Amino acid sequence: MPAYILRRILTMIPTLLVISALVFIIIQLPPGDYLESHIAELQSQGESVDENKIQFLREQYGLDKPLLHQYWYWLTGMLQGDFGYSFEYDLPVTEVVGDRLFLTVIISIATILFTWIVAFPIGIYSATHQYSWGDYGLSTLGFLGLATPNFLLALVMLYFANVYFGTSIGGLMEPQYIDAPWSTDKMVSILEHLWIPVIVIGTSGTAGMIRRLRANLLDELQKQYVTTGRAKGLPPGKLLTKYPLRVALNFFVADIGNLLPTVISGAEIVAVVMSLPTTGPILLSALQSQDMYLAGSFLMFLALLTVFGVLVSDIALALLDPRVRLGGSASK
Amino acid sequence: MRILIRHLLIILCLFAATPTLAKEWLKETPSLTALVEAGKLPAVGDRIPDDVQVAQLRSDQVAGKHGGELRLLMGKQKDIRQIVIYGYARLVGYTPELKLEADILKRVDVLENRIFTLHLRKGHKWSDGHPFTSEDFRYYWEDVATHPELSKGGPNKLLVIDGELPRVEYPDQYTVRYSWSNPNPYFLPALAGARPLYIYKPAHYLRQFHARYQSEETLARMVEESGKRNWMGVHVNRDRPYKATNPDLPALQPWVNTTYPPSERFIFKRNPYYHRVDQNGRQLPYIDSIAINIASSKLVPAKTGANESDLQARYLRMDNYTFLKSASKRNNFDVRLWQTAKGAHIALYPNLNTNDKLYRQLMRDLRFRHALSLAIHRHEINQVVYFGLVQESNNAILEEGVLFKPEYKSAWIEYDLNHANQLLDELGLTERDDRGVRLLPDGRALEILIQTAGESTERTDVLELIHDSWLKAGIKLYSIPSTREVFRNRIFSGEAMMSIWSGIENAIPTAEDSPSELAPTSKYQYQWPKWGSYYESSGKSGEPPDLPAAQELVELYDQWAHAYTHEQREGIWHQMLGIHRDNMFTIGIVNHVPHPVVVSNYLHNVPATGFYDIAPGAYFGIYRPDTFWFDKEGL
Repeated sequence: MPAYILRRILTMIPTLLVISALVFIIIQLPPGDYLESHIAELQSQGESVDENKIQFLREQYGLDKPLLHQYWYWLTGMLQGDFGYSFEYDLPVTEVVGDRLFLTVIISIATILFTWIVAFPIGIYSATHQYSWGDYGLSTLGFLGLATPNFLLALVMLYFANVYFGTSIGGLMEPQYIDAPWSTDKMVSILEHLWIPVIVIGTSGTAGMIRRLRANLLDELQKQYVTTGRAKGLPPGKLLTKYPLRVALNFFVADIGNLLPTVISGAEIVAVVMSLPTTGPILLSALQSQDMYLAGSFLMFLALLTVFGVLVSDIALALLDPRVRLGGSASK
Repeated sequence: MRILIRHLLIILCLFAATPTLAKEWLKETPSLTALVEAGKLPAVGDRIPDDVQVAQLRSDQVAGKHGGELRLLMGKQKDIRQIVIYGYARLVGYTPELKLEADILKRVDVLENRIFTLHLRKGHKWSDGHPFTSEDFRYYWEDVATHPELSKGGPNKLLVIDGELPRVEYPDQYTVRYSWSNPNPYFLPALAGARPLYIYKPAHYLRQFHARYQSEETLARMVEESGKRNWMGVHVNRDRPYKATNPDLPALQPWVNTTYPPSERFIFKRNPYYHRVDQNGRQLPYIDSIAINIASSKLVPAKTGANESDLQARYLRMDNYTFLKSASKRNNFDVRLWQTAKGAHIALYPNLNTNDKLYRQLMRDLRFRHALSLAIHRHEINQVVYFGLVQESNNAILEEGVLFKPEYKSAWIEYDLNHANQLLDELGLTERDDRGVRLLPDGRALEILIQTAGESTERTDVLELIHDSWLKAGIKLYSIPSTREVFRNRIFSGEAMMSIWSGIENAIPTAEDSPSELAPTSKYQYQWPKWGSYYESSGKSGEPPDLPAAQELVELYDQWAHAYTHEQREGIWHQMLGIHRDNMFTIGIVNHVPHPVVVSNYLHNVPATGFYDIAPGAYFGIYRPDTFWFDKEGL
């Protein structure tokens, strides 16, 4: 096992290097650079631009250097914990992302908990009561959740929350609590706002998880050991949780790899629509304005979490399920 | 000669003699009383300059009282610079009638438009209480603008006249003189701009970041801490009076930022040393603080409708009007319609520098441009897209501008397909294909590709309507959407045949404003990007204008810059506008598009109507938001 983990970690290095190169190239693909889109934006608003100043900034930001040099500068900086400088915010990247990370994690964890709490009972119920009215009804509900566009649901709920509960539109708290020290009132305000994004982001995830849990569990429930167990008179609850549910959970453990990055990135589109103070909108606007170090470092961070998450879920799977082998070739 | 000079000595006149004020006349601001009593802040009489400026209220304004927090919505963190625009404390500033008046300065003496003597107010202080003197101007000129490392390219080009830098003198603490040997007509308008030219810097604060005044070790530490490459980066980063990102930077604005970015909410607090008072002895601004909430720009109309802003125009559009109007019944605000000051809300730019030789010849043929204009049904566009609320017009001066003449607006804008077809026939484009589209001499169909920046569907809607009427004249139109950067690069390179964009930025200019928009002087002029680039780079890139009318415009522009009198400048403006009327270099569609402005019912002194545009109005700036006030505490 330790050798396996070591090998996996070593292969992560070239993977991440390739990702960093890809990220950098893709960010650089659109024509121009940050300053050009900055000039374009200023001029479209009728603001004057001083070419001398732009030239100065180009040198300050190192945008006059060849691409390879910029890439190297960024890469070596990251290895030393320096994620570069955000042009748009005029601050180091870590300071821009720092504050928002916490709120993003809160939303994501709340959403994940919401998804599990809703999806597990429904998934189990649907599988054990296949083709019953309950199964049909809940499945329909799940499909509705899967099919409704998130942003539309977000807008509709924002409107009703504002008209009926007087909640301010968008954001994660009433304006007066932003940047205020933590207090009970602030927590209450966050809770008042939190449920909308949680439900909106959660619905599609919930529906997906219900379907997957139901399918996996149905596979297991058909198997002979279940029939045998039932014939031997095991109580239905124990029969369900002892083996079929555990086996059906493999997909869930394998999913942890994807879970980690989503916790950090939040749901970008919903966050933009609802103007949530999470990291999603930052990433989007950084990509639009070609704020390359901000976008690049953020994407690298997500890539690192994905690679790491996959490793964690692989190890967890190996521990959970004795049928999973660590080696490449199967021995007979 | 002496008489001539006397005539040329124009003194920008200022708020009638300001008497030395008895201090009893002044009233302390309630929100500052506690600080004053605690001895942390001097009393109001010691905070304001000795020769304080008494704000002259307009006839529709009344003197108000202190207090309240103004809530605003902005789309991004960078937008907090809008407060510096709205605040509009400038060395000299425009009045709502677009006259230049001294504001931060007590007086400006102008000799022949080339020697400018700036007189500061005695006892004027920065927002941190440090005196504001000619030293701050010296710091800008000697330590920033002409510093070999900090300004490698030299000072702002508006300060360089025919390659000559100004002579800058500081006769005493309260006087600064800029002089050139030739007139500099850009100087005062640049100081008054929405984004002004800052020729003064808080020297007492910025010295600590400057290599001339700070030890190398300390600078090295600062560079390290801020993640910059060198001390120039630190200095520039700390010195952003316009972006307002540094709460430590002293300012002269009515409100100063107190929030360090990044944040989703910025609080601007009143500047206790602001230089204006009202007629009752209350120091301005009336409003204590401004709270800016950052929200996604698409949500701003919805949030405004939910009463989350007290004064909102940014990110609102004409198509939000009905929603806002109905929301105003539920919430306590008023929706007003202001005007925009653009020469055309939408204009077509035939690219006279397009690469395709045949099309280039066509675009340069006046008859062709006239035919294109005559084949646009502007009235229909007005009715269909703008509910009939806008004016059909050329890309020209608005009638509110002092330089307006009806002919500038209305030449060649009637819808006359017969005439258009006749002009196109005259050009020899008589052959048509089976779609009825005319054929070029080399057999290609006359298909015009119009580049759009793809940001709003409004422009594509208009193009759709133009497409239908052009087809009747035998011209096929295709619109090509792309992102703003790609859009511009296609135009610069000559790949674009024609583009659609808004018209003249400042369409209510006076003769003192630069007519640079009318002559090929910048590559951002989409009708002749290469000629503009040629002028901008002094011939290093681009192509010299080879159309006589365009050459004449450049010459006239040069004459304007060197003119000594107002009458000369006015004459040149009209000559240039006449050339545009006769040549139709751009094809304006509509202008006078209203802009919704939402104003809380508690907020007073906001004009019922006005111009909402960055130039020349600085949005709300020229209406002086420091005189806006709330009649209800703590909303």
